[in-house]
Amino acid sequence: MDLIVTATAQGLLWGMMALGIFITYRILNLPDMTAEGSFPLGAAVCAQLIISGVHPLIATAIAFVIGALAGAVTGFLITKAHIPGLLAGILTMTGLYSINLRIMKRANLSLLGEARLTDFFTGFNLPSQFDTIFLGIILVCIVITLLVLFFKTELGQAVIATGDNEKMARSLGISTNQTKILGLMLSNGLISAAGALIAQDNGYADISMGIGTIVIGLASVIIGEVIFGNLSFVNRLICVILGAIIYRFIIMFVLLIGLQPNDLKLISAIILAFCLALPSIRTKYNLNFFQKKELL
Amino acid sequence: MKKMIGFIICLVALLTVAFFTTKTETVTKKEKPMVGILQLTSHPALDLIYKGIVDELNDAGYIDGETMTLDFQNAQGDQSNLNSMSTRFVSRGADVMVGIATPSAQALANSSQDIPIVLGAVTDPEGSGLVKSNEAPGGNITGVSDLTPIKEQFSLIKEILPEAQTIGILYSSSEDNSIVQAEQAIEIAEEMGLDTQVMTVSSTNDVAQVASTLAAQVDAIWVPTDNTIASAMNTLVSAADSNLIPVFPAVDTMVEEGGLATVGLDQYELGRLTGEMVVAILNGDTNPATTPIRYLDQGDIIINEEKAEQLGLTIPTQVLEKAKE
Repeated sequence: MDLIVTATAQGLLWGMMALGIFITYRILNLPDMTAEGSFPLGAAVCAQLIISGVHPLIATAIAFVIGALAGAVTGFLITKAHIPGLLAGILTMTGLYSINLRIMKRANLSLLGEARLTDFFTGFNLPSQFDTIFLGIILVCIVITLLVLFFKTELGQAVIATGDNEKMARSLGISTNQTKILGLMLSNGLISAAGALIAQDNGYADISMGIGTIVIGLASVIIGEVIFGNLSFVNRLICVILGAIIYRFIIMFVLLIGLQPNDLKLISAIILAFCLALPSIRTKYNLNFFQKKELL
Repeated sequence: MKKMIGFIICLVALLTVAFFTTKTETVTKKEKPMVGILQLTSHPALDLIYKGIVDELNDAGYIDGETMTLDFQNAQGDQSNLNSMSTRFVSRGADVMVGIATPSAQALANSSQDIPIVLGAVTDPEGSGLVKSNEAPGGNITGVSDLTPIKEQFSLIKEILPEAQTIGILYSSSEDNSIVQAEQAIEIAEEMGLDTQVMTVSSTNDVAQVASTLAAQVDAIWVPTDNTIASAMNTLVSAADSNLIPVFPAVDTMVEEGGLATVGLDQYELGRLTGEMVVAILNGDTNPATTPIRYLDQGDIIINEEKAEQLGLTIPTQVLEKAKE
């Protein structure tokens, strides 16, 4: 039971990161590697600010803003310097490693005994991990509401149109360069804020905590899609969060049945590859059991 | 849509049950004590520490599956696993948890404020925020520090290479423990009238290039206890060899992998010492809050004579006499 609670708590926090990945990967149709740099960036900024006495809420908000700036750099490299998207993301990610070290001034910043966002719940005497769950649910609701509201505006629709068909969007008078940069800023801001939250949950920020995060984010997005099918926009966002929770369940299950943790990366990759391949397997063998309702 | 709502309802139901049960749930007393060991990644030094802990436990009569339950988890360097693994220990009702390397210790510290935690190979527990002070930890954490005898190592360099003037210091910028050691090393070198040339790598991929650049500018290279460099020791040695520069690592296993010499802490002995502290807690003899962080009393001089011959160096006989076989 404890493990389900932990997995859900972790999934909710990682879900914020997955929402960021969703914006670039699904809405902008641009696989963005900046995530592996902006995630520890958020952790670094937030940890350093909390240690200097800044309120954790403000520290997390600043982490969002700084992450958005990192996204803007990638956006600038793509649109103004005409560097291919994948490469631009890798460049920013690499550069951020040094910047993160500068921010932290060391490789690992401990938050043990420092103020954290979950402190808000300490007075309620909740069972362990439930502070993280309530915090996660509140933040997820706020973020999803804001995202839905934003993507309903003219600007938000322009971002969606850019991802759907860039040429068409440009012919409609949308400045696709600006919308791309905006999307990347929003995405990396969210990823950076997720880094800040996970640093507070783990009790430290570490320079190498970004490694592998993009796979976790992508897996969450894709698991959500594969299991729950094609849904309306709001529901798709919710499914990303559910996907992140299910991913944590899978990892928990793998550890529980006693598989070697050494094999975890391979298992993550296999799960992701299977989920990515599933739609084409389904079409080929006409197996519609997962999406029957939607197709009818 | 139906599936999604169904899943959310199931999840909420499970969480509600958990919410009302965990509060009253008491950990049932197990017949056998349980020890959870969390290791950050695999490399020879950390693996030896783990072996030392297990041997010490066995010698004290704690044998896995018979008189105790041992749960060993290795995160393979992926920090997102550390948290789940720590919670796994707590939920299984561990009696003592051992963290090998700093991030694993921090993950354990974050998962429980009551279960005793023993640190294996954390260079500076106070600086990592794990204990209030190294002398009086004050919480549920105590353990063994792997701070190496840097001063003795630099004296050894002077004994073997009396003419050496510039010492290169190479470490990984992604490891907190290395930075602490490098800062001390620079200070010690200055006191001895040596010049230092410091370079850092961010991953094992940088080692080849950074090491060959450094080797061209110095008389010898010193490396601290560093997980990244330890993993890429062969790369470092081949870069140093082509410049005929000896490498003085802080760890004995790194001498075996091509370093010239060190005054090293025996990683296996570090593990034995960690194991000793675990046993004391299992027996109910000590309280982590009042048990100071322990250090290995003395290091062994370890010489790689094959490497000395290859580099055309003669090791002074008085050094050879003191060296451990």
